[in-house]
Amino acid sequence: MADPSKTDDSERIFSELLSPSELFAARSRSRKLPVRGQKDFYPSGCAQQKQRLQNSLDEHWELVSEERVERLGNLVRGIWNPSDQIVELQSPAGKFWQTMGFSADGKQCLQPEEALYLMECGNLQVFHRDLPLSIQEGYETFLSSSQLSLQQYQVFGHLKRLGYVVSRFHASLVPSLYERQLNLPPSRDRGANQLKRKRSPSPEATATVASSPRPSEKQEDSSNPSSAQDKATNHSQPSAAQQPPADDDVTGRCWWSDGLVPPEQQQDGGPSPAGPNSRWDFLSIQFPDLGARDTPGPLAPPDPALLPGAMAVGVCSVSSWLRRLNTWREKQPGGKQRRRREEEEERARRRTGPDREVQGCRSWAEYRRIMERRRKGSRRSDSRPAHLWEKDVTPLHDPRQGTSTAELLEKISVVKPSRWADKSCSVEAVGTWQISFDVHQPAVNTEFRKSSPGMPYSRMCVCSFDGPVPALGELQHVSQQSGDVPVTMAVVDHGDISFYTFKHFLLPCDLPQ
Amino acid sequence: MTEAAFLAPRRRATVYEAYEAPFPVPRSDAEAMRCRESVYRADLVNQQVLVRDPAHIELLYGQGYFGKGILSRARPDYSLSDRWQEFEGRQIPVISKARYEQLLSWRRDYLLSKGMDEEAVNQILVRLSEPIEPAAESEEAGLAQTEDSSQKKRKRSSSTDEQRRKYCPYQDRPHTDPAPRTGSSPVDDSSPMADSSPVADSFPVTDSVLDSAPGTDSAPEYVLVEGESDEEEGGSGGSEVNQGGVRRLPFSTTEVLQLTLEEAFFLVYALGCLSVHHNQKPLSISELWGRFRSVQPGFESSYAAYHYYRSRAWVPKPGAKYGAHFMLYRKGPPFYHASYSVVVEQVRSSGVSLRPFTWRSLAALSRITANVSKELMMCYIIYPADLSEAELTSPLCLHRLSVQEVVIKRWISSRERAELDDI
Repeated sequence: MADPSKTDDSERIFSELLSPSELFAARSRSRKLPVRGQKDFYPSGCAQQKQRLQNSLDEHWELVSEERVERLGNLVRGIWNPSDQIVELQSPAGKFWQTMGFSADGKQCLQPEEALYLMECGNLQVFHRDLPLSIQEGYETFLSSSQLSLQQYQVFGHLKRLGYVVSRFHASLVPSLYERQLNLPPSRDRGANQLKRKRSPSPEATATVASSPRPSEKQEDSSNPSSAQDKATNHSQPSAAQQPPADDDVTGRCWWSDGLVPPEQQQDGGPSPAGPNSRWDFLSIQFPDLGARDTPGPLAPPDPALLPGAMAVGVCSVSSWLRRLNTWREKQPGGKQRRRREEEEERARRRTGPDREVQGCRSWAEYRRIMERRRKGSRRSDSRPAHLWEKDVTPLHDPRQGTSTAELLEKISVVKPSRWADKSCSVEAVGTWQISFDVHQPAVNTEFRKSSPGMPYSRMCVCSFDGPVPALGELQHVSQQSGDVPVTMAVVDHGDISFYTFKHFLLPCDLPQ
Repeated sequence: MTEAAFLAPRRRATVYEAYEAPFPVPRSDAEAMRCRESVYRADLVNQQVLVRDPAHIELLYGQGYFGKGILSRARPDYSLSDRWQEFEGRQIPVISKARYEQLLSWRRDYLLSKGMDEEAVNQILVRLSEPIEPAAESEEAGLAQTEDSSQKKRKRSSSTDEQRRKYCPYQDRPHTDPAPRTGSSPVDDSSPMADSSPVADSFPVTDSVLDSAPGTDSAPEYVLVEGESDEEEGGSGGSEVNQGGVRRLPFSTTEVLQLTLEEAFFLVYALGCLSVHHNQKPLSISELWGRFRSVQPGFESSYAAYHYYRSRAWVPKPGAKYGAHFMLYRKGPPFYHASYSVVVEQVRSSGVSLRPFTWRSLAALSRITANVSKELMMCYIIYPADLSEAELTSPLCLHRLSVQEVVIKRWISSRERAELDDI
């Protein structure tokens, strides 16, 4: 109480400052809101009703016309910057800084809607050309830009008063599908500095090294596939260790590309034919097939070009190998097996019943064919109606065949569901449907950091009640802009706001048992 | 936009019926061999599709919940009275005198509205409401006797369920007999009726129920009227109208199943188990498609939606009660409450909307739907850009359409906040 009186003594210029008695009256005002009674649905014309209505209107008027009282010291000072359309704070921000505002060039700044909201709350005083703005002037100044309309501000204010954290939507900050797949940890300014990954150059072995396609590895007798493999690995291991480290980053990583050893490292010298990156052309090298029924005769020696230099390979006899190979032969039915089989047949015959034809059939498909033929024979009188089946368009299903429900549903699924990501039609004028705000859950319950707000709870797209309802193409466009976050339409009807969500859906198929 | 969550359908508190089958077609070869006819018959009368054969009605409604009985709430089980009695080998309903008088007065009003003078009307009504003696009606009985025996046989062969007996067992006769049986029945009013009705077999153009006088197509329907003082059984009532006895019903009360155009086309095209006749001539699928399209604008979109929901094994019923095109039931109306209220919209290059919405109408529909605990679903039928008008004249265009569903919900900002605070 002491402070206002002191200021009152010193500066009498501003009539907004209160005298002690006025202040006391303001402080001790009743804080209760008027209670609205039951609604009357039609004017009954009696004086009592008129009096009641008048009373409630008077209360309402009185409430709205109340002047709010604030401590001058509690008000944060801000300066309106019309060129940037932001408000720069001169004095340190209060508690609202946790969820509102941003820093630019070392100064604390507020968006115009945030500034107007705080002005209405009585926390902020904005100066423009050295004069404080009144609420009316605030509305005029801040909401005149194309970026912020009255309806958007109304939505903003409504949500803020309910406690949500509302911030402006920036399309560039929506992570793309690729970024979401990467699942990067959230960084401070994702927009500002991109993490640069060092990229190692891909192996360009073929450019530098001799491109001879001949193989470089010692190859054993090609009729011995297993032992040849062992020997190959044996050779490649020590030779891999001897890979020249001099092939630095270009060829150093290509130890798998040629399979085998660069010829310089071979123990046996001599004119080895191939370079380190020669490729086998397996299409031209013939490998004999020992498992084939007609046993191949002794194998001819392989092409000397495939072999490293000083090997002399002769003809190989394969009989020993054939003995080792597992050639399964069918067993002839012995006595016990034959008896067992006959017993089974007897049992199967009893199961299928006395019908000889059914006994004779060997598979379910045959059985079904027999049944179909019989049924057709018996129901020849009930033929398909000609007017349905003989014309150009026939039904999708023939009711004379029994089909399970699942198959039937499959048959008649002619109209397919489309996916949400598919564009249904070309959309020309989507300028009217823009996302305005990100809405986060109230900061009291969740940990909210302005630097890393996380995924918003929802995004708001503001429109007028007198405007059109969005069509499918527009809904798809807006949801694509938003990414993973659901979009809510806020429909403003002269201050009354309704929210609608449009979510895509795929009805599950309800297969009966 | 994230995907809407699927809420399980709510089961009804008490279920009075048993689930038979999803579609009126056999599900296995054994069933196929057991059922006698695989194709049901319907008539296209006055832009409505009606099924008259009681057995067909039973099967079509019992397996798949197609159609609606015109005299019933949903299931076609209308019967004039709860009490039935035996008369000449068949069951006839028992009604009170007051009710009979009421039916007579309806007949009287109808005849007067047709332009007949009072005298003639009174004469007709007196003759109509003559009590019927079992012995005296020998010529009628004679003619009706053959009918009775065949009816009795058919009655026994059909199931002995209580409900089935109640719904007009004496109408169980083939519909294809056009010759009027009871030429001797004293209903002269049949001639003016016959003039107005084009064909004896099909129901006339207007009031299909009232117009079919008992004499024109089938044997007269009898009803036992109870006197005021005490109950009189049998046909030995007095010769006055005021006393009880067996009388003729002034008009037919046979139950007929009415199918919507989408249901009828689905049964014809997708299942192949219905054939629709118009003036005794069966219609082919293309003709049917053409007729339905001319009758109902936007038929191809609403049919595409209907076909899609049926192929996902949900039961769509007409949703005019809640301002939507369809109500989706899981398995059928007797088992679950409807889960979704579907509004069909078409997405075409021409941009014409089936049901243009403003925010106001959308808000109203959303509120209604929420009040009845359903979810509002928009079903967009997407037409490819190169689909020409010529292609739309054939039902094969359905193969090119696709469906996108969007669930619309109202979000209440304050409630969500309050719920969070509770947590």
